[in-house]
Parts: sequence; C-alpha cells; structure tokens
Amino acid sequence: MSSKPKIKELLAESACEHNKGKKGSCNAPTPGATTGGCALDGAQIALFPFADAAHLIHGPMSCVGGAWETRLTPTSWSGRDLTQTGFATDISNNDVIFSGEKKLAAAIDHIVTNYAPEAVFVYSTCVPAMTGDDIDAVCKQRSEKHGIPCVPVHAPGFVGAKNLGSRIAGEAVLKHLIGTKEPEETTPFDINLIGEHNNTGELWRYRHLLEELGIRVLSTFSGDGRIASIRTAHRAKLNVIVCAKSLVSMTRKMQEQYGIPWISCSFYGKTDTSKSILAIAEALGDADLIERTRALIAREEARLEEKLVPYREIFAGKKAVLNTGGNKAWSIASALQDLGIEVVATSVRKSTEADKAKAREYLGENAILMTSPATQQAKVIDDTGAHLLLAGGRSLYTAIKKRIAFTDVNQEKKKSYGGYDGLLVLAEDLKNSLQNPVFELVDRKAPWQK
Amino acid sequence: MAEVRHKSGKPLQVNPHKLSQPMGATLAFLGVDRCMPLMHGGQGCASFTKVMFTRHFCEPIALQTTAVNDVIAVLDGGDYSILESVKNIHDKVAPELIGVHTTGLTETKGDDLRGIASKIDVPLVYVNTPDYQGGLESGWALTTQALIDQLTEPCDRIDAQKIVLVPHVSLQPIEVEKLRDFIESFGFKVVAVPDLSSSLDNHLGEKQASLSSGGVTVAEVKQLADAAFVVTLGASVKPVGTTLQKKNPAIQHRHFDHVNGLQGTDALVAWLLETSGRGDRLPPVVERWRKRLQDAMLDSHFSIGQTRFLLVAEPDHLASMAASLREVGGKIALAISTVDSPILGDIEADQVIVGDLEDAEKMHDAYDLIIGNFHTEALAHRVAKKAVMRGFPNYEEVGIALKNDLLYEGGAYFLFEIANAAERMREEQVHHEREQIKLQRIA
Ligand code: SF4
Repeated sequence: MSSKPKIKELLAESACEHNKGKKGSCNAPTPGATTGGCALDGAQIALFPFADAAHLIHGPMSCVGGAWETRLTPTSWSGRDLTQTGFATDISNNDVIFSGEKKLAAAIDHIVTNYAPEAVFVYSTCVPAMTGDDIDAVCKQRSEKHGIPCVPVHAPGFVGAKNLGSRIAGEAVLKHLIGTKEPEETTPFDINLIGEHNNTGELWRYRHLLEELGIRVLSTFSGDGRIASIRTAHRAKLNVIVCAKSLVSMTRKMQEQYGIPWISCSFYGKTDTSKSILAIAEALGDADLIERTRALIAREEARLEEKLVPYREIFAGKKAVLNTGGNKAWSIASALQDLGIEVVATSVRKSTEADKAKAREYLGENAILMTSPATQQAKVIDDTGAHLLLAGGRSLYTAIKKRIAFTDVNQEKKKSYGGYDGLLVLAEDLKNSLQNPVFELVDRKAPWQK
Repeated sequence: MAEVRHKSGKPLQVNPHKLSQPMGATLAFLGVDRCMPLMHGGQGCASFTKVMFTRHFCEPIALQTTAVNDVIAVLDGGDYSILESVKNIHDKVAPELIGVHTTGLTETKGDDLRGIASKIDVPLVYVNTPDYQGGLESGWALTTQALIDQLTEPCDRIDAQKIVLVPHVSLQPIEVEKLRDFIESFGFKVVAVPDLSSSLDNHLGEKQASLSSGGVTVAEVKQLADAAFVVTLGASVKPVGTTLQKKNPAIQHRHFDHVNGLQGTDALVAWLLETSGRGDRLPPVVERWRKRLQDAMLDSHFSIGQTRFLLVAEPDHLASMAASLREVGGKIALAISTVDSPILGDIEADQVIVGDLEDAEKMHDAYDLIIGNFHTEALAHRVAKKAVMRGFPNYEEVGIALKNDLLYEGGAYFLFEIANAAERMREEQVHHEREQIKLQRIA
C-alpha cells in the first residue's frame, strides 16, 4: 500500500483556518503571481532539524542546490550534524528515462555506510513523482536491509505550498516513526513539542525552565530532535504546538490514536512565554506544579525587568511598524509591547483569520492592520510618526526614504529572540538600530545637489 | 597536465556545490533590463532560486513561476500555465521582456515551448533548461544564446568600434563593469550580454524586485548584430560567438578562456592593441596597473608558492583562479568542478574532478587553503583548514558583487587576499604547535 498521504484530506483539515469560507483548496497557486516555497521546502523545514537522521532529496539540483546548510537549527546531538549535510540523488537524463530507483537505493546504501544515521528521510520531488519511481518500495526494502527506518516523504512541489509540505512531513513521521519504540521510563509530566524547530536556538531559551519544573520534553518535532525519542512520542501526556498551525492535523491524529491532548503556545516575548509555560502546567493539571510554575514565572519576570531597566528610557514613547508574515504579526508585536514600544501597525497579508483576530487583540482598536504592506507602509509611517520599521530586507529602502530606523526580522536572522532572554537580545538590536545614524545619512543629498 | 575525472562515480551528491541549469537561466535573464524571468515548473524551484540569489547578492530578485500543480502537471501541455502567467505578469508589471525557462518537471511532461511561445504576442524569450542536465554555466549560456537567437535582428552593416562582450556566469557584477571600462579605454564601445553590472551591483535605489533594474536593454540586444567583434569569455559561453555570427557573418569572434593574471590579461591587451590600431600605446592607467600586478606577484609569491590549494567552483571559474595562482607558484592540489567541461583538461592541477564536498573532505590531506563558496567554510572547520569565499552561493559575506579578481587590477587584489589568508592560516598553525610544545614541557 502506498504511504502517500491523501492530499485532499490534508488540505481540508478542519484546523486550517484558510479553508473557512473558501471553496476548494488553498493550494491552487496563481501562475505568474505566486511566491513562497513548495511542499518539499515545507517538508524539509519540518524535518531537517533531526540532526541524527540523513535527509536525502531524490531530485535534481533545483530542489536542493542553494538550500542545504541554510537551516539555522542547531542541535546538541554529539554525532555528525546531518541537518547541515546535503544529500541529493541529482537525477540525470538516464534516471528520467530508465527510473531512478536503483540510484536511490544505492544512495541510501552510501549514506548508511558512511554516515550511520538513525534514520533516512527520503524526499520525493516533482520529476521522480512524474516518472513514477516507487520510493515506498525502495524505502521499505532499504529499511529491512539496514535495520533503520527509511521514511518516504511524498511532498513533490507540485502538490502544493510549504504549509502542506509540513503537514505531509507530520504524516510521514506519524505513520513511520511515532509509536515504533517504547520509552525507557515515563513521567507524569512528559510532553512533546510539536513544530518547535529550534530556529537559532529558540528552544534552548526555555527548555531549561520546563526542566526545572520537572516537565520532561519527551520528544520534539523536530528542533534539537532525536529519532529515538520521536519514536516514543506516543507516550507523552501532552502535545504542545509551538507557533505552527500546519501541524494541528498531526496532533489531532495523535489525540485520536493515542489520546494525547494538545495546546498551542508561543514563546516570543515575556508575556507569551509566561502564558505558555503556565498553560503547559495547567494542562498537565497538577496543583503543585502550577504553583511552582507561578513562582518560577514571577522570578524570571523580575529578573528580566531588572535587566530591561536601561532600555526602558530609550524605548519610551517609541512607535513601531511591523511588516512580517503569519503568526509573527502578533508574536513579535507582543514582544515589542513587552519592551514598552507601541506597535502602531502590523501586516496581516499572509495571516489566517485567527492570526488577524489575535493581531487586533494584541494591538488594540487604533492600530492599523495592513493588508498590502508593501504599498501601505510608507504612508502608515507618515501618518503615525513611527520611529522604527521592523520588516524583511526588502523594506529597508522604505525606512531609508522615511529616515527611520530599520530592523530586519526575516527568518534568516541569526539570533534568537525567543523566551525571556531573547527579549534582551531583541532590545539590544532595536537599541542599536534606533541609535544608528546610517538611516539618516545614507540617502542624504550630496552637497552639490539642490 | 592534470589527471581529470570527468564524472562522479557516486549515486548521489553529498554536500553538493553544483547548481541547476534553470538557476543559471534565471541569472542570465536578470542581466536584461526590465525583464521578468519566468521559471516554468513547480513553485518551489523558483522560490529556492529566488531565496538563493537574494541572499547571495543582498538584493531583491525578480523571478516568477508558472506554479505547475498536480492537476496541471497531468492535464496541461504547458499552454495554460504559461499563458496565464504571462497574462498575470503583464497586467501587473508590464516588463520589457519575459524570460521563460523550463525545469525538469515541465521537460518530463514534454511541454512544447516553441509552440506556446508562438501564441504569445508580448516580448518573450524561451529556453529549455531541464535541471537533470547541465548546470549553472550551461543554463546561463543557453539563455544567452536564446536571447540572441530570438531577439537580435540580422544585420549586414558593421560598426567598427562596437564589441559585444559575453561573460561567463561566475563573473561578479563589478568584474563585468571593470572589463567593459577596460576595453572601452582602448577606444571601443562595449555591450555586455547578459549584463549584471548595473542590475545586481549593490547600488542604492528604489528596488521592489518587481522587475530587474539595470542590465542590457532589449533594444540593445536587438541591435547586437552590427558589432565588429564578439568577445566570449569562458569556455561555457564560447558557442554564443557562433550564435551571434549567424545574425551577421561579418562579425569576428574572439574567445578568451579567462582574463585573469598577467598572461591572461596580456593576451586581451595584445588583441585590443592590435585591433584598435593603437600600436603599443597602452592607456596610462592600464600600464600602471600592469606594473602593480607585477609587483603584487613578487610580493605574494613566497606565501602562495608554498601553499597547496583546493579550488571548488564552476569550470570557467576554476580555470581563471588556477591561472592566477599558478603564475606565482601556487600548487593546485585539487580542483573540484560542479560539472564536466572541456576546460577541465587545461587546468594546471594535480587532480581535477567533477565532484562534491564529500570528495573534498576525503582528500583533505592534499591541500592547505580552500577557495570556494560559503559551504567550504564549514568544510574548512571540519578538516581544520582555512577557506576564502568565492563563487555561488555566498551567504556569509557582504559586498560580493563588488569583488574584482580579473585583469591586472583585480589580479593584484586577488593575490594579496589569498597570500594574506595563507599567511594567517600558517601563523595560526605555528601558534598552535608552539602551544602544544609548551603544554608538553609543562607535563
Ligand atoms: S517544485 Fe518540485 S522540482 Fe521544484 S523544488 Fe519543489 S519539489 Fe523540486
């Protein structure tokens, strides 16, 4: 039987806010007017943080060329970091004409012999999906031969966008890994972190706090993740989704199959970090744990407040415009508010209905929700007298034209702004932006210009 | 000459530096002013490509996709997705040119590009660039040929002063500009095709990435065939000379594999002096830079002459870097190419292979200093060496578009940078060794 997930089902996933009020799927891209990565890209983002597994792209170099070693998801795995190792079958003319199955099998052998991974994820791409390579059969046979899981991930780009890809990745892990191993021990406070990629080390900003409370992270999907622990994930008491709506289908299925309840959390900024840690404790439902959690939150917030004192003065009365996508529209806004910065506008261009509602709730009545930030933001800066623009690199020019400070918030950023301590990093970066003369200077008229 | 391995013997690429043919095509189209490159395939190929070049150049990149999905993949011969795309792009940004290039998916489907293109009445150039063939260089070269083949009007006149310059894909924007200025200083007018020197050169300007801004204009491409000469630079673009000559057999073709280092630049200068009829009167600034390069060669030879290099790059880029280093005694222990090319046999190295960074890692005993793309930095860490960044992609450094390695001037800068890096590396090694001795003495 094919392990290909039913795309229609995944798209119609009830938890996908996009689908409300829309007929058909949210994956029909407009030719010539589409941006964003494909399903393969999304699947990679979801799974690549497993550094003890090899990630083999069965496809040509377009699918991998510039993208490997770009995932900033660190690991504490002591073996070779396979997140940062690129594997691709680089299929050629011959493979297209005669099938690439043999090559794929040999590629898996090469990887197992040379890199001894805990598992191999095999990603299908458009060309082998078209020519009909039987990836399931190859994976099955190689799993048996090598005694490690070889997991087929059917996310060729033509099935849809990134979001769908991460759901497909979740399906693959659910089907092939979760529940295939028992944990050595369990505790009443075992949780899984779902959708936490440990981007720039974000997980490490708060995991120690959970551990201090006696909450054990049984497994993560997939930041700083281990194959051995995700295989035991079915024994957790709670699934915590971290800023990743696309994985709701996965946790819903885990609830059906294993009876694990789930909650959704964000660890951006002080307010949300505190709320989330408390929500986890409450969901685990232990009175003593909840009490200890409250104490820990109070301690951490006081510690943070003290360190933020020097910044308070700098940020007093400062207004910011935020132009970034998805849940960042409100999660970063919340962090800015924690710093005492007023967020006067945010972008809701790519946001779901729930994200929009949340943005409104966080920002209040008067804030502007920009639906077309690229064209709106210049005027919004004028109208609100904003001092700071937080956006992707493309908006830099707007800030320079308006002579206001700019901070790049795109996902390629190298630092983590998550958790309590991340807020200090964000504060320092914003301070540096606000105090940098470059935004005033660079577009200055030369002395001989009128 | 070198021992050349023309093919990787492995069933996969591990830590690849090879880039795809459609990526090369995109880049070539970005060297045409007000162009919208349109990649015909699933949306991911264009997205990966866009992200890569955006991060490499630190510039917004114009690129669209026909966003072929599963239904279209099975049912449509490409007509719908291309026609729709062209319409949508045209309504929104009205480009001077749309550059359609295919990917593996649409080639496997067997879409008939020529047929579809004939139904479209907006300016459009199409090129077949399946990504299961060739690589960055061939994508760039095929696209350049397509631009000329489909746009350039036949001509029977010759403008004696006009030179068409065709650079290979690995030249940085500033290098194309330097080269053009250099040739123009001998009294010629130069049109570069493609021309990234004014589109991706990191200049401040209103850039929304809606279209490429800067580059050769469509009007200029149409008018190429009155040039007296076509100068191709890099083996990968050599066939472009013939393509242009088809538009006007009177055009003379002059090819250079590279213009790096003293001899490489001398060859260009000798030809320019001869064809311009200047005799031996060098432009003064050129003469000055030649002397500086001579001095740079002497100043750097001691360091570079004791260094064993690993070069990792596209074939034409390998050839140019190797030539520069060899002139001052640099030992090219290993040159790893992305793809096969006839130029590989001409590279003076102990070993030239088509391969990946796993190969590089395995052979780490052979070399000291690495020159290659940003992936070689992590490689250098693993094998305890140093790397100097060159080639695509480079996400680690800023200012790449303004790195100049060619002609006398760039050649001098290149040698200094490499010699200094090699010295620093050796100093660190010596320091490390002395620390070890100290520790031993204490113990
Ligand atoms: S769209 Fe298809 S071919 Fe393109 S990158 Fe995605 S999987 Fe690869």
